[in-house]
Amino acid sequence: MKCVIGGAHLRVFGRAIHAIARISDEFWFDPLEKGLALRSVNSSRSAYAYVFFSSMFFQHYCWTALPQPRQKEKQLSPPCKVIIKSVLPVFRCVNVLERNVEKCSIYTNINDHHITFQLLCKHGVVKTYNLTFQECDPLQAVFAKHMCPNVLKVHSRLLADIVIHFPTSQEEVTLSVTPMKVCFKSYTEEDTDFSKTMLTEVQLNPDEFDYFQVGVDSEVTFCLKELRGLLAFSEATSVPVSIHFDISGKPVAFSIEDLVLEASFILATLSDIEKETTSQQPPSFTPWQESLETHTEKAGNASMDKDSSTQANASKKPQRNGKTPSAEPAKPASPLVKQERKVIPGATEGDTTGVEGTTTAHAALAGESHYEKFHSLFFGAVSCKEDAVSHTFHSLATASDSEEDFGNVPSSPVV
Amino acid sequence: MPLSAQPPGSAEPYLLTASLDNARHLSSLLRAVHFQDHATCFATVNGLRVTVEDAKCVQANAFIQAEIFQEFAVQEQTVTFRINLSVLLDCLTIFGTSSLPGTSTALRMCYRGYGYPLMLFLEEGGVVTVCKINTQEPEDLLDFDFCSTKVVNKIILQSEGLRKAFAELDMTSEVMQITMSPDKPYFRLSTFGNAGSAHLDYSKDSDLIEAFHCNQTQTNRYKISLLKPSTKALALSCKVSIRTDAQGFLSLQYMIRNEDGQICFVEYYCCPDENITEEM
Repeated sequence: MKCVIGGAHLRVFGRAIHAIARISDEFWFDPLEKGLALRSVNSSRSAYAYVFFSSMFFQHYCWTALPQPRQKEKQLSPPCKVIIKSVLPVFRCVNVLERNVEKCSIYTNINDHHITFQLLCKHGVVKTYNLTFQECDPLQAVFAKHMCPNVLKVHSRLLADIVIHFPTSQEEVTLSVTPMKVCFKSYTEEDTDFSKTMLTEVQLNPDEFDYFQVGVDSEVTFCLKELRGLLAFSEATSVPVSIHFDISGKPVAFSIEDLVLEASFILATLSDIEKETTSQQPPSFTPWQESLETHTEKAGNASMDKDSSTQANASKKPQRNGKTPSAEPAKPASPLVKQERKVIPGATEGDTTGVEGTTTAHAALAGESHYEKFHSLFFGAVSCKEDAVSHTFHSLATASDSEEDFGNVPSSPVV
Repeated sequence: MPLSAQPPGSAEPYLLTASLDNARHLSSLLRAVHFQDHATCFATVNGLRVTVEDAKCVQANAFIQAEIFQEFAVQEQTVTFRINLSVLLDCLTIFGTSSLPGTSTALRMCYRGYGYPLMLFLEEGGVVTVCKINTQEPEDLLDFDFCSTKVVNKIILQSEGLRKAFAELDMTSEVMQITMSPDKPYFRLSTFGNAGSAHLDYSKDSDLIEAFHCNQTQTNRYKISLLKPSTKALALSCKVSIRTDAQGFLSLQYMIRNEDGQICFVEYYCCPDENITEEM
């Protein structure tokens, strides 16, 4: 694969790399026929980033199919896994990139296991970086954006203006929506000492959004740090950001799309399950199995998808039945959810009545299991067994990587 | 504010006396060579030279010529002593390192001779500090013997062109490879780190290059840890000259303009790690 990125787009590309860097230390560099895909997933599998640059983004894009007789699937140019720290220096100062660099060429040499970034800079200076990569299995998350009942679309500037009010130390943020209003607020855990905490809340009117659809009242809590990268990236592209989400526990997708690129950052959200008594298994798996199962069943058309979800079901069922009946993850929708989230500042730690309404669990346990659930698997991992995890993971990914499906998976544009 | 000369009634004259209105003219240059604790000072009628060495492989010299000083007097041909450079710098910057415009630390330096400490009188805003730093036996230093007749390749660059490159050097690489050639790639800096290799090529037509005199293709490697300290000198300088001789010894000369616009020089010499001369 060989491509050339011209001056103005360099900044966008550099911002994309930096945004992905907030997710993980390594990313998948996946040249495809129609363009270049960059993907990343964090170690706890609670955040996934996907950026796709179509061939039109580049001054020049050339992708040659290499014969790969040993592979059954039509994966012609295997994706490469690159350590992001090695790529970051290449795009270090994104803001000055445009000024100093005229263009950037990227070549991949599969045989040599090298990616070469060559920057043609001012003053006749040429910077060449030859980075090694590892060949790896494809990575793809399956997330049906079009199935989400709640969709918001807003210019990245507005989101950036909201996010700037949260201190950089604020890890998690809650987005709460009703048909009447939208609220971003800082998320605090049960045992937070409110006298030493600053809580931020920003309320917005539905008409501030370019597109506003709230099918179900919900509150989703996700990691802010991972979002900031996407916001910086989308500001460089000046494309509005679409937010697709459902009830708490289900992933939230932040995406941007224009003629030459599209990007999705899919983040896990905190699940409101505090009824979980003990964990016979890591509580983290529970809510995700539910949400993922739903999505895989509905999302893919390919037979492989069905197989994987069947597998998922099969391996999950025993566990699900094994749990105490009260630990029913899927909360009945809106009213309950809304109630639970009223965190009253100044409430004493032991006071759980104002907070998280219906509880049988102790506050401490709730807090702890909350936290664990947040950092949960969100792809194909559906059982405690390591083997099942990787196996399902592969099958999900492989399915989505076939040519026809590729077009389907990045979801259809919103409105 | 000039301080009084030799203390009245002293029997022996000081071997070295020097006065400087702005101690920063000295301290900033010394910082550019401060990669080891100890330094050897040589004072001649021409001025002061401070030398720092490491591992018998790299040597840095800071030259502060006599004209920079308001007063500079030596009673012998060469006055030499070894001193703790970290302590000397701490004393010179005793009033703080931030440079507020209009305020400067005045310095008077006196050295009585072998076995005596170096005396520093520093004054700022009416406050006077007296420092006595013990001196040591001067050590034998390397003589890189780099004279212009032995130079094979020479390039003079504007420092701004190299600054970013040096700041971004891949420190996971053990060596920095320098290629100088009359043919492409003309001037190339390369590192070989954990992630892969990085090359920085300067075309000989680049407007950053002020002079390009390469007669032979040479590729030499130098330990990056030895060269990294030169970044400080590079940061202060406006121009740098890069020279290599037949054995691959490297000479980096930095032209530094101080606050008053006067020119001083800092030099780094480095032995090659391996000697590879390739035909490119």
